[in-house]
Amino acid sequence: MRATLILISVASAFAAESAPKAFTAIQKRWWAIQPVREQTPPVATLSRIDAFVHAKLQGKGITPNPSADPVTLLRRATLDLTGLPPTPEETQAFLSDRSPEAFAKVVDRLLASPRYGERWGRHWLDLARYADSEGFKADETRPNIWRYRDYVIQSFNEDKPYNRFVQEQLAGDEMFPGDAQALVATGFNRHFPDEYNARNLYQRRQELLNDITDVVGSTFMGLTFGCARCHDHKFDPILHKDYYRLQSFFAGLHIDDQATLASPKAQQEYQAQLKVWEKATFDVRKEIASVLKIQRDFRVKENFDKFPEEIQASVTCAPEKRTPMQWQMYYKAMPQLTFDDAEVAKGIRGDVKAAYQKLAAKLKTFDHLKPAELPITQAMVEDVAAIPSTHVLRGGAYDAVDEEVQPGFLSILDPSDLRLPAAPAGKSGRRTALAKWLTDPANPLTARVIVNRVWHYHFGQGLVATPSDFGLMGARPTHKELLDDLSYRFVRDGWSIKRLHREIMLSETYRRSSDFAAAAGQADPENATLWRYNRRRLEGESIRDSMLAVSGLLNTKMNGPGVFPPLPAGVETRGGWKRDESLEEARRRSIYIFVRRNTRYPMFEAFDMPDTHESCARRNQTVTPSQALELMNSEMVLDWSKGLAARVLNDAGLSREAMVDRAYRLVYARPASDDEKRLASDFFTRHQPILAARSAPLVVPDKLPSGIQPIEAAVLVDLCHALFNSNEFLYIN
Amino acid sequence: MLQKLQHHWPVRSRREFFTAAGSGLAGMALSSLMAEAAPRRGDLLAARPPHHAAKAKSIIFLFMEGGPSHIDLFDPKPKLKELHGQPMPASYGKLITAMGTANNSIMASPREFKQHGQSGLWVSDWYPHIAQHADELAVLRSCWANGLNHVGSVCQMNTGDILAGRPSLGAWTTYGLGTANRNLPSFVVMQDDKEPLGGTKNWSAGFLPATYQGTQFRTGDTPILNLKPGGNATSEQQLSKLSYVKALNARFGEGKDDDTELDARVRSFELAYQMQSAGPEAVDLTQESEATKRLYGMDDPATLPYGRNCLQARRLVERGVRFVELYCGSGSGWDAHQNIEANHAKWCRASDKPIAGLLTDLKARGLLDETLVVWGGEFGRTPFNEKGDGRDHNPWGFSMFFAGAGIKPGQAIGTTDEIGLRAVERPAHVHDIHATMLHLLGMDHLQLTYQHNGRAERPTIVGGSLIHELLA
Repeated sequence: MRATLILISVASAFAAESAPKAFTAIQKRWWAIQPVREQTPPVATLSRIDAFVHAKLQGKGITPNPSADPVTLLRRATLDLTGLPPTPEETQAFLSDRSPEAFAKVVDRLLASPRYGERWGRHWLDLARYADSEGFKADETRPNIWRYRDYVIQSFNEDKPYNRFVQEQLAGDEMFPGDAQALVATGFNRHFPDEYNARNLYQRRQELLNDITDVVGSTFMGLTFGCARCHDHKFDPILHKDYYRLQSFFAGLHIDDQATLASPKAQQEYQAQLKVWEKATFDVRKEIASVLKIQRDFRVKENFDKFPEEIQASVTCAPEKRTPMQWQMYYKAMPQLTFDDAEVAKGIRGDVKAAYQKLAAKLKTFDHLKPAELPITQAMVEDVAAIPSTHVLRGGAYDAVDEEVQPGFLSILDPSDLRLPAAPAGKSGRRTALAKWLTDPANPLTARVIVNRVWHYHFGQGLVATPSDFGLMGARPTHKELLDDLSYRFVRDGWSIKRLHREIMLSETYRRSSDFAAAAGQADPENATLWRYNRRRLEGESIRDSMLAVSGLLNTKMNGPGVFPPLPAGVETRGGWKRDESLEEARRRSIYIFVRRNTRYPMFEAFDMPDTHESCARRNQTVTPSQALELMNSEMVLDWSKGLAARVLNDAGLSREAMVDRAYRLVYARPASDDEKRLASDFFTRHQPILAARSAPLVVPDKLPSGIQPIEAAVLVDLCHALFNSNEFLYIN
Repeated sequence: MLQKLQHHWPVRSRREFFTAAGSGLAGMALSSLMAEAAPRRGDLLAARPPHHAAKAKSIIFLFMEGGPSHIDLFDPKPKLKELHGQPMPASYGKLITAMGTANNSIMASPREFKQHGQSGLWVSDWYPHIAQHADELAVLRSCWANGLNHVGSVCQMNTGDILAGRPSLGAWTTYGLGTANRNLPSFVVMQDDKEPLGGTKNWSAGFLPATYQGTQFRTGDTPILNLKPGGNATSEQQLSKLSYVKALNARFGEGKDDDTELDARVRSFELAYQMQSAGPEAVDLTQESEATKRLYGMDDPATLPYGRNCLQARRLVERGVRFVELYCGSGSGWDAHQNIEANHAKWCRASDKPIAGLLTDLKARGLLDETLVVWGGEFGRTPFNEKGDGRDHNPWGFSMFFAGAGIKPGQAIGTTDEIGLRAVERPAHVHDIHATMLHLLGMDHLQLTYQHNGRAERPTIVGGSLIHELLA
């Protein structure tokens, strides 16, 4: 086994480093593992958040910015919570509401909007490395994984308590048996990139477990567990052993891509009807089986022969004799040895094919007897017979097996092996124990990590600037007392994320203007003291959704399988992109666009959407010419500009001034100033003869109101296009 | 305490780190740590100084996708003739292979090897034109890699890891050096056939900012996505619109001078506008003479696709593109599980004259001194047969060749065992190859780090050492 030798030789390089070590004083004093304590705000007259922030500002002698103007604030809050800009009507309503609660009412309205879950769910999907396909070479579709995406959106919308949200995703099958949503939630651990037709399944299984361990460690605990895969963490008190202690919680997991969501009653009815169909089709199915037998046996043997002997044995072994590891191999191997009739039939020719087609047609005549398919999801569940022992692996190599470990937590917090709680039949209770530990009010990490994430998404910068690294090499909290105060009350008051949003957004700190101020800017250029709000670019999804919304084209239909908007000419899709999507479907919100690992939607790729192979806690915010090309040249953005022009013409009539004003209100949520109207008027004057000189047909809205010259409408399209390309539209200010 | 950076920073405390950083010992690490504290924003393509004087300005990576058979091209094994038809001797141990072929019999090379040039380098008759450049090549016969399957192995040859998600070598290059031509992408990928296996993962920026990812050039006059304005906009129309956008941005930018990103975005539109003409110009082969096109084999349908790409690669490196990757047999063309004769005859023919033409042309134009040309696949092929006349994947030992900037030419380095199964003398892992390529571009793979999820990640992960024998 040469491959093994190679891995061992890599592993041995680290063997010398893996001797047990005592924790250092710095590690023991590490802030993130100290208990979260209730805090007393330093100033009584301010909101709690503002009080803590104020104390820091005062300490540094920095004067914070005043509040942003109402329009900026409304646009900020609306984009922040829903990923869409405010409508002119919403702006008007807010501006005319003189009550002191006006902004609080806006926040409540936005939190109650279904658009909220579509925005904040997307943040969670970044962390969960969510995708609708497997990755690797074949990148097969995961046909039912979208239920997890919908589950996340729904959970945010209904403000599911975060502790419950964690429990469902890690142990939904175990803790809430019979709860369909909790089963869908286990898809969290199903999002690893996978190569289902790998040969060395021992290695593949280990890679999946590594992925799960790393993602669980970073997402829920904010720790870089991955650094301890090969050796003790170099800085944080995460032992090499702790990596595998965490991993062993998941040792018994296997993929269940046919996990039923139907009620027991519906399942019974289904089974009963299925029997009817099976009885009626018994003969024809038997004939089909016999026609396909040679080809099927060939296909199975072909794949079977490619497996190493140990894996072949896992398949052929009598079920009652399978060891836990053999069960694991069996679960991974079987999809490669299972073919449906249509798949097998691809390999037959001539008479056999003709005979098969005839039989298949006959079988189809019984379809009326077939029960409707039950809803299924792609889950990650445990089989208690399939929990192999977990070992420390030298250098992280799958076959460089060292001491055995039991499930356990960070040794610095609790070095003992886990005592497993009671679990339903067929379950070990391992993940229940992990989920309960994570959501125990005394856990120092869970609440701090999620509270900081929420803060990060609101401000573009967390109180801890490294949201998935609370370790010693991560950033220190800029406002530790504030983080603790929020975290403490977050748990005490029921783990409500909406409540947290509300508190943050109603603070003065959130409402500050993003303007530059010389003195404060000099004292604190990085804005660590939060003297101003951080201006930031919209994410790719928000840019697209905002353009669709502003142009009146957005389809707000929720949920369901991923959609496939048309791609620009020249994008290689390897057949993985449905080409016949209806225009209506193509205009749904970005979160519903199919996430294919090997063909990311080009606009999102250009605008820094993470690549879905790893958990992503912080997106980059780059500026590239390809973004500019996307905005200024893509037919799609031009199409939406046409939509916006049509809407403007419809609303404003024929006067240029009115058109410009309406366009500004729709795009920027504010009226155009006289100056800006002049600027636009100059553009009309300059641009019209240029368009008149074109030989190609003018680009105008599909239906022009009577009285408008096509060339005037064409200038308006370009004006709208320019607004979509402008910084005021692309940035949250 | 000055030492090379590992993927972690060996200091005992944060305080010590900043003491070290402040004294200038850890400038590189500090800048990457700052990058972590504040996500990368703004214009990331500014040219940056190399770690040391660069030998190569550009790399052209000729990627023979699917796994060319080293033992039929650059690594002659007479022993295979002797053992032909017999099982592999037990001394070679047990193997897991991609197709479970390890018990199949040894198959001799169907080709003839000859020594070429002053150096006497061995090349088989599958590569007659390249053989004429023998004295310019350094053949590394002892490469090895970790993956058994294509997608993982192609991924590793590009990113260092068989699991997708890490930055490609070309992305690291742009990250390390910035761009030398604002009007063109710095890292360009071209294919001659189907999509390479794993697709964009192979030229991905991974966890680096997306700015650094490779740009896939399409054939035709608009090599880059969205290069042509929608709605058939004329140049005047576009300029008029862009000047309006600029005026809008100027108003919005009032009092926001501190925000360099807003300014960078304004400039990004200007760059994009320039790309619209620079992109098509770079791939406009009508500017090349018929003689040049013939040199690359563009007059023959069999050699046209790869010849065209090779010629475009020369034009791109002339224009300052730092990393050009040309897939040959893209979509796993070289994957000769059966009938290697027909398979390799086809792809050798498709690549032989174009590559020889490229070497000739680069040399004639004085570009070979500043361009590193690398030839290789994701792995080699087994000495035992598959399906009687093919060969299975072999990541344990295979050949690559290097030519041009900074390379000591006319030599073969390292060996595989007697049957060409495993690298024996001077084994060179993919990470060593990557470290050496980066070295020639002026970068130290240990210093080229990016802080990600708590680690100072580098292109060679936890491995990599220079292959000094390759260097002039």
